[in-house]
Amino acid sequence: MLLQVIFSGLATGSIYALVALGLALIYNTTEHVNFAQGEMSMVCAFVGFTFFNMLGLSLPMAIVLTLLISVLLGLITERLVIRPAMRAPHFNIFIITLGVSIVMKSLSGFIWSHNDYPYPSIFPDKTITIGSATIDLIGLGNIGATLLLMVILYLFFMCTRYGTAMRAVSESQNAALLMGVNVKQSFAVTWAISFLVAAVAGILMAPVVFLSTHMGIVVINGFAAAILGGWGSIPGAIIGGMLLGVIDNVAPLYLPSQIKNVVPFAVIFIVLVIRPKGIMGVERFAKV
Amino acid sequence: MQPSGKWKIWGWTGALVVLLILPLFLGKYSIFLLSLLAIYALVSLGLNLLMGYTGQIAAGHAGFLAIGAYVTAIFTANFEWVPCPLTLLLAGTVSGMIGFLLGIPILRLKGFYIAMATLAFGVVVSEIILQWSSVTGGDDGFSVPTARIGGFVFDSDFKLFYLIIPVTVIMTLLARNLVNGYIGRAFIALRESEIAAQTIGVDLAKYKTIAFAISAFYTGVAGGLFAYLITYLSPDAFTIELSVDFIAMIVIGGLGSIMGSIIGAVILTGMQQVLAGLQDLQILIFGLALIIFMIFMPRGIVGMLSDLKEKFI
Repeated sequence: MLLQVIFSGLATGSIYALVALGLALIYNTTEHVNFAQGEMSMVCAFVGFTFFNMLGLSLPMAIVLTLLISVLLGLITERLVIRPAMRAPHFNIFIITLGVSIVMKSLSGFIWSHNDYPYPSIFPDKTITIGSATIDLIGLGNIGATLLLMVILYLFFMCTRYGTAMRAVSESQNAALLMGVNVKQSFAVTWAISFLVAAVAGILMAPVVFLSTHMGIVVINGFAAAILGGWGSIPGAIIGGMLLGVIDNVAPLYLPSQIKNVVPFAVIFIVLVIRPKGIMGVERFAKV
Repeated sequence: MQPSGKWKIWGWTGALVVLLILPLFLGKYSIFLLSLLAIYALVSLGLNLLMGYTGQIAAGHAGFLAIGAYVTAIFTANFEWVPCPLTLLLAGTVSGMIGFLLGIPILRLKGFYIAMATLAFGVVVSEIILQWSSVTGGDDGFSVPTARIGGFVFDSDFKLFYLIIPVTVIMTLLARNLVNGYIGRAFIALRESEIAAQTIGVDLAKYKTIAFAISAFYTGVAGGLFAYLITYLSPDAFTIELSVDFIAMIVIGGLGSIMGSIIGAVILTGMQQVLAGLQDLQILIFGLALIIFMIFMPRGIVGMLSDLKEKFI
């Protein structure tokens, strides 16, 4: 029983991990906190839905198109609302992304209505039995896809020109600028990648929770995961996400079942009070 | 005192007199709306002290509003003879104490972490209200007894108006004095640069917790008045969306400005009326407003007006 619950915790956790990963990517390069990360997933999931359900494309085709569009959306969002306020205090950017999340949610409501829709998964809807635990292949696929994406991103950051540039920008924007790094371009690439990660999260999440405009609230779990793992740390995002997923699923076993609604908030609160830097986080010092 | 300052006082006094005799000529619903506006103005002031003046993002003020409202409702139900201004003071104090206690762990945090912690706080409060049903009525809601002072019962919106407006006016004046005094300047110093403020001797821990406590106090009192006005409380009224509406209110009105708080409250109340039933459109407009104001007019309508004034006068 416990093994079973832990597995489904990891499956849920892989989605939290992806949201946390998107948050960490943007924070690392731009030091901005993106409140719209969850709504980005929601919008991308709906874009995919439109392709295969309304336009009748095959699922893999629809997903490839969705991923392309997500990159485009990332570039557009960055250019329209982040770039104009690039030099503004982070306080302002946080409010802007809050606005972006609200706009995305209400626009999606206009376009697709606030109903729930079933969503097909790219993984087969079957279960396999290992010992006493039944494991569903969708959950297993989601965990695998998350780990794969993390490896790809790791290689991107360590082995490509863009990745190196983005790491330089995260160290110091001005120093990177002086070394000939195109900071604006790095911002744009960051947003594109983060939107892509959001799209993957959306496509993996929608089959599990149903597609609806309320899906974006997962950003709260993403924040909890990122804070638990260590804010701004990419391995931390994955570990935090998986761990949060497990806590999410194990807690109702031992505590009253209503606890589930409060888990992410309780985790945020407890981690911030006891160990604000999280599991993998590094202490940050204020720069003058 | 400068002559212009004198005229300003006369102007405000005149406006206040007009506001106080206005209900004689207005319908029941308009009086209700004006009262609601005053309550939003109080929340707006409280939030602006924390966000606009001290620069801390607070995304859970619906929680403080809920605390104030439920404390008032439960206390009035049990001790009906207590004059309602005392009950309101109690509601504000309880909320303020919780704000103070919340402020202590949050001191260790920076920037957006505070936003997350307050967001979490807001949700936890409404969850506690929902689960603690033996006291709060939980899902069934809570019927609020009428406010009274001695034998006088505030049993209509018309009478409540004369409870709500004086409280709001007094608290607005207090807020104005606060921000113009030493504490207000300390808040602004913290907002501009925590490190710089500390080096010139502003006690970071002290003033941040003070900001949290005062902000929560204002919102708590507003919650009490809200309970009396609405007469029925249910936990699902105090959502994250409401907290976001409050943020939108002060961003549009003007961060770090008393006048801006009030303008923001006017706009929130107005929007809720004009777009009643068009929930999505209202949210869309708020969202766009947040983005546009933050990019082009970070100081809100008040900032815009003062820029215009400098240009033409």
